[in-house]
Amino acid sequence: MTLLTGETDVFDATSDGRCGVVFLARRRILASTSSAEASAGVRRALRELAGQGWQLSVAEMFGDHAEPAGYDTGFAHDVDVAGVFDAPDLTAALAGTVTLETAGWDQLFRTEWLIGPREFATVTSPRGRGPNNQWGFLALWEWNDAWHSATDAQRAAYDEECDVAFAADLAAGVSIAGRHRLDWASRWHHLGVWEVPDIELVTAAMREHEHVADFKFTTSRHYVGRLRALTDLLEG
Amino acid sequence: MPDVLWLHYSRPRSGWYELDAAARDEHLARFAAARRDSVESGGQCQGSWHVRGNSDYSTVETWLFPDPDAAFTHWIRLTEAGYPRWFAFANNIGLRA
Repeated sequence: MTLLTGETDVFDATSDGRCGVVFLARRRILASTSSAEASAGVRRALRELAGQGWQLSVAEMFGDHAEPAGYDTGFAHDVDVAGVFDAPDLTAALAGTVTLETAGWDQLFRTEWLIGPREFATVTSPRGRGPNNQWGFLALWEWNDAWHSATDAQRAAYDEECDVAFAADLAAGVSIAGRHRLDWASRWHHLGVWEVPDIELVTAAMREHEHVADFKFTTSRHYVGRLRALTDLLEG
Repeated sequence: MPDVLWLHYSRPRSGWYELDAAARDEHLARFAAARRDSVESGGQCQGSWHVRGNSDYSTVETWLFPDPDAAFTHWIRLTEAGYPRWFAFANNIGLRA
């Protein structure tokens, strides 16, 4: 697959054909009986997708055996629940969103789904990963007019500057679940997902990304959320 | 029957307006070749419509593809032809309901 942007010192390309499925979901208010029925349907659909090779949490993308999980984002955003799955391929990803919606997800949430293939492999913090990574950070971005006007040399210099910030993120304890390419089916061009031990670390990291001028070439939208089992998030 | 709908909203980036006609034609020829390749590979372009009056974008193109990978490949052809350099975009994909 052609990369939208090149590999860097921090990020290695992967061509495993897997496909990210981002969900940005606003909770509907339902009668408890309807909600329980819808939740049960979604849990069945999740088991079905897991059986088809879906990874249903960021932890699974790093190779863990983990239960389906998402992030509780309502405290800071107009989105109540956010998260990312990794489907075996593009076709499975699209079909899976329909499976989930019809199984009951659509009754529980109004959802924006963003779908796109994985471009970069996961990168684990040198501090390792562990039970302390209770926060998630989702970054959506598009390359702006300045990036599109830049020369290859300017983009390479920019990538090197951003690598300084990414290396600092990793050293501080962030693990980055690679990068997915969304531009074929979205206004967003890329997704980055981080596992973070401490929400204050996100703020410090963004200061460093500002410092290296990460955002001169991007328009970005960021979400932070507390890790929760998806079964709990389905219940509200 | 093709099962995948692909919607492509676009508007020229500022730099497009600064190109002379010959440069624009050169780019447009490359984009047209990419679209032609996609049609020859099974895609069906149904046309382009102006939506500037009620949208953040200028036009919307609609395509039908046999599967999601064909839609993705079409977009790769356009990106390799340099299309996103000159046009901001928002794409969308749908499976037949």
